[in-house]
Amino acid sequence: MSFEDAVRAHADELFRYAYWLARDRARAEDVVQEALLRGWRAFPRLRDAAATRAWLFSIVRNEYRRAAGAAAREESLDGVDLPDERTDPGGLEMRDALRALPAAYGEPLALQVLGGFSGAEIADLLGLTEGAVMTRLTRARQALRRLVAPRARAGGRP
Amino acid sequence: MNCLDYRRLLLTGAPETEAMRLHRMQCAGCAAEHREHGALESALREALEVAVPEGFAGRMARAQVLRRRRFLAAAAAVLAGAGAGGYAWLTRPDPVAMACIDFVMKDESKAIMMGGMPRAAAAAALEPTLPLSHLEKVGQVMHVGPCPFNGATAYLVILDVPQGKVSLLVMPSAKRERDGHADKEGMSAAVMPMHGGSVGIVGDDRALVASVMGALKA
Repeated sequence: MSFEDAVRAHADELFRYAYWLARDRARAEDVVQEALLRGWRAFPRLRDAAATRAWLFSIVRNEYRRAAGAAAREESLDGVDLPDERTDPGGLEMRDALRALPAAYGEPLALQVLGGFSGAEIADLLGLTEGAVMTRLTRARQALRRLVAPRARAGGRP
Repeated sequence: MNCLDYRRLLLTGAPETEAMRLHRMQCAGCAAEHREHGALESALREALEVAVPEGFAGRMARAQVLRRRRFLAAAAAVLAGAGAGGYAWLTRPDPVAMACIDFVMKDESKAIMMGGMPRAAAAAALEPTLPLSHLEKVGQVMHVGPCPFNGATAYLVILDVPQGKVSLLVMPSAKRERDGHADKEGMSAAVMPMHGGSVGIVGDDRALVASVMGALKA
């Protein structure tokens, strides 16, 4: 598969992932563009074609972190509280609830739901153990259940 | 499998296994939990799958094609120039280009072992001759470090480009008038004037060196 083919196949999901990271459409587009430039340079060294997709996600992540600077560096879980229903006793829409999740919990979830990656693949991408990823996925879903208004959870709109 | 195991696995988002499915069929509470989980997952997917800008994938793919064409065009321009001066390349090896090859063969690994410069220091050192930002447009900069070369201080840069790896010797104090070339022991080198100094490029073959030369001049 050529690099252009890989870009055509994965650009949309890379944009969605970048949007989740940056929370801004213009920034997400910039991040993907810059990441693909880096990817293009490094593509000849990629030996395992089957790993192209995960590799592109990791470049997008690194590019976002590089562009965002210190604010996007790996946050310690010390002192990071998961939000609870006290945030909004009436419950939140899913998108707002996702925004309320600390990145350390939300990012594995986004990679699993958007990218369809397994726990082991997410662990590789984030530099964590698989056990830590599973714990974060579980806690993220528990937090979403507490936060999301029942009607939103059922897919309804306010 | 018991209810606790079932619900714990459900929360990880892992695909349902046969053991989970069998438990769900026998347990009304976990079946209800499964339905609620399904609704949450649908809402989660819907929230994450934001609309992608119109024609985004095509636009990104076309940008890669343009990028490759630009690189190849720059390389072709220099190769054409090298073709015109090809005879000179073959018959009159440039002594500085030869020295660059010697450096790469004998001293490069030692220079790399001495360690690279922090990014800010590297950018400041290269700025007058060949700005780091320009190098980063051409390839991935793997190493920048000072090294003694031809009686002065030069900066060794290891640059990874789509066609392979090249070594650059950035020589801020070595002025020169024109390009020079040399081949030795399976390696090729070119030296070119650059903003008051000069830059030597060493790679595994002439085409690689010429393409990087073109990209640096572009």
